[in-house]
Amino acid sequence: MSETPFKISIPDAALQRLQTKLELTTLPDELDGAGWDYGAPLADVKRLVSRWTNGYDWRHHEAQLNASLQQFTRPIAVDGHGTLNIHYVHQRSEVTNAIPLLFVHGWPGSFIEARKILPLLTTNSANHPSFHVVTFSLPGYGFSEAASKPGFGIKQYAEVGHKLMLALGYNEYVTQGGDWGHVITRKIAQVYGGKYSKAWHTNMVMGQPPQGDDAQTELSDEDKQLLARREWHRKKGMGYMAEQSTQPQTLGYALTDSPVGLLAWIYEKLVNWTDNYPWEDDEILTWISIYYFSRAGPAASLRIYYEAMGPHKTDAERGFADGAAPEIPLGLSHFPQEIVALPRSWSRNLGNIVFEAEHDGGGHFAAYEKPNELVDDVRKMFGQNGPAFGVVAGKSGYSTEGKSGL
Amino acid sequence: MAETPFKISIPQALLDRLQQKLALTTLPNELDGSGWDYGAPLADVKRLVARWMDGYDWRHHEAQLNQLPQFTRPISVDGHGTLDIHYIHRKSEVEGAIPLLFVHGWPGIFLEGSRIVPLLTAKLDDHPSFHVVVLSLPGFGFSEGAKKPGFNIAQYAEIGNKLMLALGYNEYVTQGGDWGLAVTRRIAQLYGGKHSKAWHTNMVFGEPPADFDPTTLTPEQQAALARTEGLMKKGMGYRHQQSTKPQTLAYAMTDSPVGLLAWIYEKLVAWTDRYNWTDIEVLTWISIFYFSREGPVGSFRIYYEAMGNETMAMQAFREAPAPEIPLGLSHFPGDLVVVPKSWSRMMGNVVFDSEVHDAGGHFPAYEQPEALAGDLRQMFGKGGPAYGVVPGKSGY
Repeated sequence: MSETPFKISIPDAALQRLQTKLELTTLPDELDGAGWDYGAPLADVKRLVSRWTNGYDWRHHEAQLNASLQQFTRPIAVDGHGTLNIHYVHQRSEVTNAIPLLFVHGWPGSFIEARKILPLLTTNSANHPSFHVVTFSLPGYGFSEAASKPGFGIKQYAEVGHKLMLALGYNEYVTQGGDWGHVITRKIAQVYGGKYSKAWHTNMVMGQPPQGDDAQTELSDEDKQLLARREWHRKKGMGYMAEQSTQPQTLGYALTDSPVGLLAWIYEKLVNWTDNYPWEDDEILTWISIYYFSRAGPAASLRIYYEAMGPHKTDAERGFADGAAPEIPLGLSHFPQEIVALPRSWSRNLGNIVFEAEHDGGGHFAAYEKPNELVDDVRKMFGQNGPAFGVVAGKSGYSTEGKSGL
Repeated sequence: MAETPFKISIPQALLDRLQQKLALTTLPNELDGSGWDYGAPLADVKRLVARWMDGYDWRHHEAQLNQLPQFTRPISVDGHGTLDIHYIHRKSEVEGAIPLLFVHGWPGIFLEGSRIVPLLTAKLDDHPSFHVVVLSLPGFGFSEGAKKPGFNIAQYAEIGNKLMLALGYNEYVTQGGDWGLAVTRRIAQLYGGKHSKAWHTNMVFGEPPADFDPTTLTPEQQAALARTEGLMKKGMGYRHQQSTKPQTLAYAMTDSPVGLLAWIYEKLVAWTDRYNWTDIEVLTWISIFYFSREGPVGSFRIYYEAMGNETMAMQAFREAPAPEIPLGLSHFPGDLVVVPKSWSRMMGNVVFDSEVHDAGGHFPAYEQPEALAGDLRQMFGKGGPAYGVVPGKSGY
């Protein structure tokens, strides 16, 4: 069979090399009182480097990841790009007719983003549906092989996700995603929707300002706050995107060669994009280590930006608004500190919205920051009284009475 | 008084550390056939790193750089205390030579201005001579950088003006491109007339006039505008990052020699016009950034302070009136922004407007020193439109 059980096992030599590099870390200075204005603060980065060099135990966290996440690899063929070895987590529910769900991460996320929602989604209860959950490392991330030639774009990432579900025996499935996960699951919905993908749910709600008469509607105070955050992100927080979508290789040398460089680049987003999430240093370091020790190296993870949004793409493609809106049912979860948060009225054209929920807190990494809330939403959407109940034929998410699970 | 002769002398410990880091260089892979599309190509970077480790002798090049007459002196800046400023200063043997301040940009350095120094200071029968000052902008080269937020273009301009005054040049002219344009324009606005008497730039901007008819563009002009548009689409990531989160970028650029190399090398190639960089040249240029007094981060902050993430050029030209003192423009075909010459009249009181040179890009003082020096000689020489702008210092 093509599936191979996988355990993360970073070679000692790689750990040693990291250690040697960390010990040679050269830090910049910082302007007085710079705070977060100029980027990740020196005190934070210094502390994290110090911990990474002394005290952080990768082997412990590696073991935890292996213990809590059932991982596999398998080859997946992608039209025009040969076969890629894909790393994924697959957790089945004990409920036979659980709903197959594909969770897709983005940048600077990874498969680790699913670690909290996995046990919740797969749990068996009469009160809510259960899911068989699959999450894969995007090619070029985590322990998946990367594309080796140009042109591996959103369509290709979608193909990998879709083919993985089919390979696992899930001919029909639903998806959940934010960040690139939103863009990729949208593409899955466009290309494979109806026949294979039966519904999609996202926590990164995109949209456009209303045109014509609707444009006259005055914005509420909440809307103004959302737009203010969006504007802050647009004005102050998109340097990474500008570089990654135009010169990913140039940036790639630095992020590959410098542990502290990679740390700061990602840490800044982990803080700026979340809603006061109480990151622990070891949590940050584990998140960063997945990038540092990734199969393809950190530079590969940047290329999705070029392929999807590079100078050769159209404006519609760069806005993830290419092609017609998918027809399959769509669920939205709004988290107030999402960086692209916008007035709810702006997202009406995203698709066939059947479910929508608001939350008081939470940011860009909803599955990680607010796992209970996100899972709650997904359960409501697909549950017995929900608008997408039974979208996957024969997989309601509930135990069938009188039959024992297989 | 305050001036101290300066010789670059990088401590051996720093050289040793660089070698240790280079030996540990971890390189990414590259997509098949990606060329320059995704950024600096792997083969180039690999080759440069290998050379940097073995076959590049910093001490030799340091000694060569030290043949340039370098100095440092403390310059005070309102609200920012005193900064120790590094510069090249060469006087012409012609006493009445025109004092000229050259201001570089990013990723420029004092080295950029070094080639025009012997050309401009030379005593020639037919051409004016100049006393030349090449400033290391605060945060670049061996100049101290600002310690607190708010060190903006006006502060850089204050440094430039005060340096010239400190050297006894109460009246002077300026030459600059890239940030050197912004700084010398500010000098012209703040100190023009009284101290700065004329300014010259090789970075030419412009907007089409109100009654612009696109069909009047020549094929060459169309091609140049298309090329400019392409470069803007492809090459502004660095600017976006440096103007919004320079500190975040700084960790990688300070810690990784190859990271810094690739970041700057990409621009040295993209922004020059058929310039045949040797590996040695590139490595010397990068080394100056690597060994700079403030480290690479010192050079990024000007973007944050001056730009947010607005377009530098057009914003600068829309806000505040154009300086009144005479302006000279030199057009080089390989610069980032190439517009029809008539569009650039709005930059100021244009008295000199060169023909478009055959070659040269964003760093013409380095790439085409003869051409740039020639333009300056024409602008300020006898019969030229800015002849005698500095009273008593005609250049002859």
